[in-house]
Amino acid sequence: MRIATTQYQSTMNRSLQLNQEHISLLTQQMASGQRVQVPSDDPISNVRLSRLNREEAIVTQYRDNIASVQTRLTKNENFLTSMVSDMHESADLLVWASDGGNASADLGAMVNSMSALRDSLFYSANLKDEEGRYIFAGTATGTAAINYDPAAPVGARYTYTGNTGQQKVVVGNGVTQTANVDVQGLETLLNQMDSTVATLAVPGVAPNDPAVRAVLTANLDGVTAGMEQFSTKIAVFGGVQNILSTLDTNHGNVSLSNKMALTDIGQVDYGLAATDLNGYTIALQATYKAYAKIGNLSLFDVL
Amino acid sequence: MDDTARRAPCLRFAKQKERTMSIINNALSGSLAAQAALNAASQNIANLQTKGYTRQGVLLGALQPSPNAGATAAGNGVEVSALLRFSDGYKNQQLWRAASDLGQRSQTQPYLTQLERVMGDDASSLSSGIDSFFRALNAAGVDPTSSPLRQQVVTAADAMSQHFNSINNVLNNQLLSVQQQRSAIIPQANTTIAAIASLNQKIAAAKGGNTNVSALIDQRDQAIDGLASQMALEVVEQPDGSRSVSLKSGQPLVIGSLAGTLSSSTVSGTQAISLQFSTSNFALDNATIGGQLGGLGKFEQNTLIPLQQSVADIAQQLSSKVNTQLAAGNTLVGTPGTPLFVFTFGGGATMLQITAGFQAADLAFSGDSTAGNSDNLQLLIGLKNQPITVTSLGSVLMSDADTQLVGKLGIDSQQNQAEMATADTVRNQSVEDWQSTSGVNRDEEAINLVEFQNMYQANMKVISVANSLFDATLAMMS
Repeated sequence: MRIATTQYQSTMNRSLQLNQEHISLLTQQMASGQRVQVPSDDPISNVRLSRLNREEAIVTQYRDNIASVQTRLTKNENFLTSMVSDMHESADLLVWASDGGNASADLGAMVNSMSALRDSLFYSANLKDEEGRYIFAGTATGTAAINYDPAAPVGARYTYTGNTGQQKVVVGNGVTQTANVDVQGLETLLNQMDSTVATLAVPGVAPNDPAVRAVLTANLDGVTAGMEQFSTKIAVFGGVQNILSTLDTNHGNVSLSNKMALTDIGQVDYGLAATDLNGYTIALQATYKAYAKIGNLSLFDVL
Repeated sequence: MDDTARRAPCLRFAKQKERTMSIINNALSGSLAAQAALNAASQNIANLQTKGYTRQGVLLGALQPSPNAGATAAGNGVEVSALLRFSDGYKNQQLWRAASDLGQRSQTQPYLTQLERVMGDDASSLSSGIDSFFRALNAAGVDPTSSPLRQQVVTAADAMSQHFNSINNVLNNQLLSVQQQRSAIIPQANTTIAAIASLNQKIAAAKGGNTNVSALIDQRDQAIDGLASQMALEVVEQPDGSRSVSLKSGQPLVIGSLAGTLSSSTVSGTQAISLQFSTSNFALDNATIGGQLGGLGKFEQNTLIPLQQSVADIAQQLSSKVNTQLAAGNTLVGTPGTPLFVFTFGGGATMLQITAGFQAADLAFSGDSTAGNSDNLQLLIGLKNQPITVTSLGSVLMSDADTQLVGKLGIDSQQNQAEMATADTVRNQSVEDWQSTSGVNRDEEAINLVEFQNMYQANMKVISVANSLFDATLAMMS
């Protein structure tokens, strides 16, 4: 084929353009570490990357949620444990009070301890979070869990005003976990303790009076039942914590495999990129040299 | 000595003188021909770098001897029978076709690349906005009454709206830019069309006057090449040397010295192109016109408008689903939920907004009247996996809609790039083909220069030889 002089020029220009374009793309890829710079570089991989990123984002969110739920459960567990230890103390007192050998004054002396424990339990039941919302009122977080009405007769002054609604937290795809706990049932115990305090506070109270004994026995039964109820709740927390830890590990594994896939699909293979870069650089240098040589060739030089 | 015998040497003299004169004439014709060839070579060298210049050369032909010169006469020298223009009509046609294809593909690529960069960006994409919103809802599930967690939902909703608005803005700007570019190309094309018609007239006139029109033809071919990159053309050579140019779809742009005029008009936001030729008016199709104009039309019709509709579809259905779900729940204070989003179709920068004055406490997460309930929040989180109907995609999951939209855009762009690369290769190949025939080769011209210089000097030598012959004859006579 006949070659026109300007063809050399356009061939050179094109070769330079082509090599420089590839070198620029490779440099961009190597600088960012991303193989896919724009979706059209690899549309299918781009869709896969986008989906992996979304899944990774939601898995991260599930793991965050699990961590928060675990913290909440641990907090709740601590509060319930302290309530159970209050109940233990009151049980000790009640067992002691039920001893028929006590003098009337001894029983009267128990009033202070009993009312302190009653008030402590009441206070714990109505704990609020940092924003002033009641922790143990079920989902009725705007109202106190247990209401105290001094005007009501003894034995009916405490009422549960929360509900038993559950706050569900999404901790996995389609998996929810209850994050709250309520103290329904505690009001009965509080009323029984209130009755005990009222009974023991009567001057000259006789420890062997059947009416007094009945109150004490009922209260002791109530404490035992309360301790069992709350211990069960604490035990459930333990189980839930284990389930959450397992879930978190599962999420961690999914996340790891997502990240590996993201790396496989999205990351530049530096070895390959460096080799390619080297190839294009050599081609570019060769083009420069070729141009320098061919550009100098002219019949006019020897005429 | 009789008369005849006396006159014989005289006759031989006359013959000899005639032959010597003919040598001089032949040498003269040779030197003139060499000069013409040198002239052509000099023109070629001068235009070594001139774009679209078609090289020229002389066609030499030997002249027959005069009819009564006898059997021993060699001939009357050389003549420049034609000044050749090295051109191949087929290669021109190929060049122009390739220009249209390349124009069409390269015109749209910058638009596609910009869209890809904006919509595919990890930070500014719709996906990242939607994901953040649902992540904030998910986080609120941990403690549905917590103000900071609720505030995060409102903030993420606002941020998501901004993602939609900024992408919608980019699409609107592109639409505007496509229309402006079209408006800019049309007057340019009209100037070129008029120039072709006027060159047609000049060429036809000059041909009649027996003038070399090579430069004018080059100029016209360049003009046609420029026009071909703007729209797909059909070019037909006419016997009078003029070229008729029409659109691929058949409407005439140039016939002889008559030129048509393109114009665009905007009717309800859509630009239409029409062609006025003489007394006829043709409505042209924006997309099938080919070249840059066709590229713009195709991009507008097949990519931009459906994409804009799709983004609006996602925004509209997402906001309406969220608002409907919120209305089914109760706020922190137990009142029924109010809409979080306000969607305005074609609103540009305000396509999606959050309701003015919307507070964190207004989020209706509760499924009953209690504040701590999160049943409605769970349903809001579930919206992510509900199907929505998106133009150009059909029914897709809300969370996946943008991913698929960007995926489709990526495929469209990749296809355009592949076609652009092909068009580029074809165009380069046809330029090389054209240059192979019509381009100047410096070394070839150097050889021409040397050879015709030699020819000129040889002819001068012939004259000098003839001259000495003549002198010798005269000397004999004296």
